[in-house]
Amino acid sequence: MKGGSKVIVEPHRHEGVFIAKGKEDALVTRNMVPGEAVYGEKRVSVQNEDGTKIEYRVWNPFRSKLAAAILGGVDNIWIVPGARVLYLGAASGTTVSHVSDLVGPTGVVYAVEFSHRSGRDLVNMAKKRTNVIPIIEDARHPAKYRMLVGMVDVIFSDVAQPDQARILALNASYFLKNGGHFVISIKANCIDSTVPAEAVFAAEVKKLQQDQFKPSEQVTLEPFERDHACVVGGYRVPKKAKPAA
Amino acid sequence: MALFYLLFESASGFALFIVHGIDEIGQNIEAVRNSITDLNRFGKVVKLVAFHPFASALDALNQCNAVSEGIMTDELRNFLELNLKIKEGKKPKFTLGLAEPKIGSHIYEETKIPCQCNEFVLELLRGVRLHFDRFIKDLKPTDLEKAQLGLGHSYSRAKVKFNVNRVDNMVI
Repeated sequence: MKGGSKVIVEPHRHEGVFIAKGKEDALVTRNMVPGEAVYGEKRVSVQNEDGTKIEYRVWNPFRSKLAAAILGGVDNIWIVPGARVLYLGAASGTTVSHVSDLVGPTGVVYAVEFSHRSGRDLVNMAKKRTNVIPIIEDARHPAKYRMLVGMVDVIFSDVAQPDQARILALNASYFLKNGGHFVISIKANCIDSTVPAEAVFAAEVKKLQQDQFKPSEQVTLEPFERDHACVVGGYRVPKKAKPAA
Repeated sequence: MALFYLLFESASGFALFIVHGIDEIGQNIEAVRNSITDLNRFGKVVKLVAFHPFASALDALNQCNAVSEGIMTDELRNFLELNLKIKEGKKPKFTLGLAEPKIGSHIYEETKIPCQCNEFVLELLRGVRLHFDRFIKDLKPTDLEKAQLGLGHSYSRAKVKFNVNRVDNMVI
């Protein structure tokens, strides 16, 4: 990253995410495996007062929908240090590697990907990061990987399938704890390319509400992705006790 | 009174639970949903009967592949027959709750254990999954994660055909 030793890293509003301030600002996460880039991304090393170095990896919002959602101003991503995350649609594991940085050594990321070709990169990436559990299986059939996954705090879903709301609901019924949260990225074209994007988002949110999800916010991923939205919310949110009369 | 058992497949082994007071709860899903989060309440309803840890990583992988495909292995059959005390020629007086109907039908064909898989069973299994490390005394929470990690890697690696040079052999 340009700027050399003048780069300062500040914590972001979201715990576990940082901003590197050099010549340009960039979103970064603290590298769990210092000295290694996962997909050729830039790295920033910052020296502490006591001389120890901390390495950060630059998180490109054009390559990661979660980074785009953070820059889009989402209120809470729920993925925090120590969290247990089920990641559906992990692909080659570029965003997964940042989520792995984010949750840190005390968290776990169950990364599900169906494609064998990108799954190979995912498995290789997971070899270096012990908090990532790779699962090469179809996210439509959570029963097939029920032995490999425990209860999770957050489900992140980026499967880009017409029935992605159903896929999310099915996985949540197996693995998402009561009061847990979901983050889903919706690509309008993948669901219905004949109606406006906003109508698709509204229809998907309605589907989620029928499956005990409680969507709380929605951001579009402009200018990083076209016709994408990211919806965040809770699952089986416990009813608030009525105040005593 | 008919007994109701639950089979839970974890990354470190098979576990069998017995469900008490099933008639009192009835098949009310809402009541189960509310009770699973609290271990004090859930622990009174569901109790561990037996736990069969996998012998080795290879054994775990074989079991995992079989469970994933809905096939009962010999180990699972022995585990069930030993702990459910099946008598030859007698109609069993219990039901076994399972996560998936396919493995259930295979178990029923082979052993005549009546199996059940419905929304109610899935709700109970959610509770078991949530509290699993506290049911098994010798299991630390990190142990289960380590088992999942090892099993996840071996399961996934078997599915992905590795090529050292990362060059794909195109099949034309």
